[in-house]
Amino acid sequence: MPEVIVEMRHITKRFPGIVANDDVSLEIRKGEIFAVLGENGAGKSTLVSMLFGMYEPDEGEIFIRGRKERINSPRYATSLSIGMVHQHFRLVSNYTIAENIILGLEPTKKFLGMFPCVDIKKANRDIAELSERYGLKVNPEDVIENVNVATRQRVEILKMLYREAEILIFDEPTAVLTPQEIDSFLHILKNLQAHGKTIILITHKLREIKAVADRCAIMNRGKLISILDVPTTSTDEMARLMVGREVSFTTEKSPAHFGDVVLSVDNISVKSVTGYEAVRGVTFEIHAGEVFAVAGVSGNGQNELADSIAGLLKTSHGTITLNGHDITRASVRERIQAGVAYIPEDRHNVGLVLDFPLRDNFPLRRYYSPKFSRRGIINEAEFDGYGRTLEERYDIRSSQGGATITRSMSGGNQQKAIIAREVDMQTPLIIFMQPTRGLDAGAVMNIHRQIVAERDRGAAVLLISLDLDEIIDCADTIAVIYNGSINKIAPAESLTVDDIGLYMMGVGRTA
Amino acid sequence: MRKFFLSCFAIVISLLFGALILWLMGKDPVAAYMNLLQGSGLMHKVKYAGRQSMFTDFMSFIDAMTPMIFASLSVAVALRGGFFNIGVAGQMMAAGFAAHMLAGVIPSRVLVVVAGLIAGAVVGALIGWLRYKFNVNEVVSSIMLNSILMYLITFYINTFYVNPVSRQSKPITDAARLTLSGFRWEGLKVDIALAFPVAIITALFLNWFLERTTYGYEIKATGLSPNAAYYAGMNVNRTALMTMTLSGALAGLAGVSYFCGYLASIQPGTTPAMGFDAIAVSLLGGNNPLGCVLASFLITIISKGSVYMSSRQNIEPEIASLITAFILTFAACSAILDRRRRK
Ligand SMILES: Nc1ncnc2c1ncn2[C@@H]1O[C@H](COP(=O)(O)OP(=O)(O)OP(=O)(O)O)[C@@H](O)[C@H]1O
Ligand SMILES: [Mg+2]
Repeated sequence: MPEVIVEMRHITKRFPGIVANDDVSLEIRKGEIFAVLGENGAGKSTLVSMLFGMYEPDEGEIFIRGRKERINSPRYATSLSIGMVHQHFRLVSNYTIAENIILGLEPTKKFLGMFPCVDIKKANRDIAELSERYGLKVNPEDVIENVNVATRQRVEILKMLYREAEILIFDEPTAVLTPQEIDSFLHILKNLQAHGKTIILITHKLREIKAVADRCAIMNRGKLISILDVPTTSTDEMARLMVGREVSFTTEKSPAHFGDVVLSVDNISVKSVTGYEAVRGVTFEIHAGEVFAVAGVSGNGQNELADSIAGLLKTSHGTITLNGHDITRASVRERIQAGVAYIPEDRHNVGLVLDFPLRDNFPLRRYYSPKFSRRGIINEAEFDGYGRTLEERYDIRSSQGGATITRSMSGGNQQKAIIAREVDMQTPLIIFMQPTRGLDAGAVMNIHRQIVAERDRGAAVLLISLDLDEIIDCADTIAVIYNGSINKIAPAESLTVDDIGLYMMGVGRTA
Repeated sequence: MRKFFLSCFAIVISLLFGALILWLMGKDPVAAYMNLLQGSGLMHKVKYAGRQSMFTDFMSFIDAMTPMIFASLSVAVALRGGFFNIGVAGQMMAAGFAAHMLAGVIPSRVLVVVAGLIAGAVVGALIGWLRYKFNVNEVVSSIMLNSILMYLITFYINTFYVNPVSRQSKPITDAARLTLSGFRWEGLKVDIALAFPVAIITALFLNWFLERTTYGYEIKATGLSPNAAYYAGMNVNRTALMTMTLSGALAGLAGVSYFCGYLASIQPGTTPAMGFDAIAVSLLGGNNPLGCVLASFLITIISKGSVYMSSRQNIEPEIASLITAFILTFAACSAILDRRRRK
């Protein structure tokens, strides 16, 4: 029996109105990859945050290497050689990779024998050596804002390793990565394990757990349901335990019935905020009753495309037509009124006002309409009532209902709130941008069903996603975007996953 | 509720600090703090001069508190809309000056108020406009404007409008002054702040405006997350401009109730300290209009009562500013801590 490195005994953590962790006891063995699985809001982040000293448990005890510890700060956790990569990276964007890694632990040398100064050469050497040893390719001299997400993640990992962490915690590390990047990330995990590190991994993707984890804890509504040996358990079994009932993970989809053209995008070009031409001469049409999915590797103009149709970015060229009306120059509000619903990618900074109570976020794009206000005066009762209706209809869970500050809700429930708001507008066009990022398998299912239901009610659906499985599950028509242009448009059934993958890499440009 | 606790915490800690300093100076902190209350007309003094009583003290306390309410409301509205209006002092001076000029021609209280409102609003709007048009940070532009306005007004007063004896601007005529100074009542001489009811009504109105109107909703959304506000189809620039105009107008009311009410003339060469104290007051009041009224009450006790305290205890009145500064620091810290915890 391998040595137990982390032990949590009867941990309970409460937040106002909710028990985020309810009497959780578990042991993590040295050198294993320990996965934590559970629906959105099950309390996974809260549980591991306590190991990293971000919260303290209300009840229960934590033992690290057999010693009882009171972990009251990340600093103390670091001294116990515990490291954590948060879902939102915490790097200084105008520092180099090396500077970020050594921040707070700078190796110093004496300049002219007396003035202490940072020995950046030594830092670069140390980091190069570390990244060599663990197979984490980075160039220590690159500036963070110039490198992609996967690299930033490697920097976060190096940062932990530089602090000599032995217990590495990852909170939804793959949510931001493309399929290829996920594969290499899983490889990195295996490699870290081979070097004797203990890894705690939170993820919603059963496939990843199956691929790397040794054991998996399943949580549901704050309680630990069970701990499974991954090699001997099927993914279906895991999913069933997680949701607490039998589930099927296929989206049932009747054949599509296309109606008239709803959205027509004609040869549009869009400059990104930095002035770079991100979308170049894109043309397509979406019919009523069609799910039009755009596949592509992250950063190929998807964001700008969605923003320009929703009116958040100006097009520099071309026209956008909705139900026969030219909306190319229309403002955001005019487009909302014309019937463009939009679930944006950045749910924290764009989709929600995080410091509003949940209730105030539902009418965000319609507060001025007669339903919610009259002559500038808000209809308080309608704000409340509408909030309750949506929370119920779309199963949005929060600790204090409409009064919950949106920021304190779990990521999945925040996303559900945005989708509820947009879907409930019942518009002719609805844009889903990365709708299921960071959501649990059950929630993903629900959203896919909603996408199909929107189609079936006759809406034109534009689905933009990095997740190929999602695209295959929902799409009637698939377009592949590469370097700002549409590389291929074809009916979904005529393309295989491999085809799409190739088009995503820019193959067949001339076609 | 939480905010309320944090504010109380900030006050208690600051008072303890102040007490510690008083004690180190060899004074009796309890007596000193009682002097603050006595000076504000909230506790009986041992003896009163002719035609004065606890009531007259209290009425002049109200007179001092009135501009503070407006000034803190100005800061609060701006903060809710995402602006740090550090230029309240300059806006107050502009308003006071405009009102003085106008009252010199037509002595009317209504005109004084209107002039103040407009002058403040114009300066506020300018700051808002500079930010959205040229992306000039409002902190920078308001500090610059504070100096520019202060020197312009100083120059004008010293050149054309000075009272050679007091070295201040010529006093405003009683017919236009917003405080009935030395009003005879039951053998007492009372200062009646005519603007006080206006201040209370304004606070109530703003509370309603922020919580119950679409404009308030827009201001809050824009202040908390401009990106989300834009996504919501709001006109972010117009909202920013509206916020700063409103904030400036409130500072204007503070200006007239200060320079044409609590005081009767403008002191050239300085900006009113109230412009900065108002930031502490607003933070202490949780940037909530009703909270601002409560916090103004507390801070005015300290600033107003300090005169009496310093004469009784023989301490420099600056100790009061020191305590206010502590409160500002703690209130700001707790606001940040609160945000962290909820991260
Ligand atoms: N700081 C907080 N204040 C109040 N409630 C909180 C706070 N943090 C989390 N919660 C609540 O505790 C519950 C568990 O949240 P947690 O973030 O641990 O969920 P999770 O399992 O990580 O979900 P997800 O998969 O969506 O990230 C949620 O209902 C959430 O609203
Ligand atoms: Mg989480």
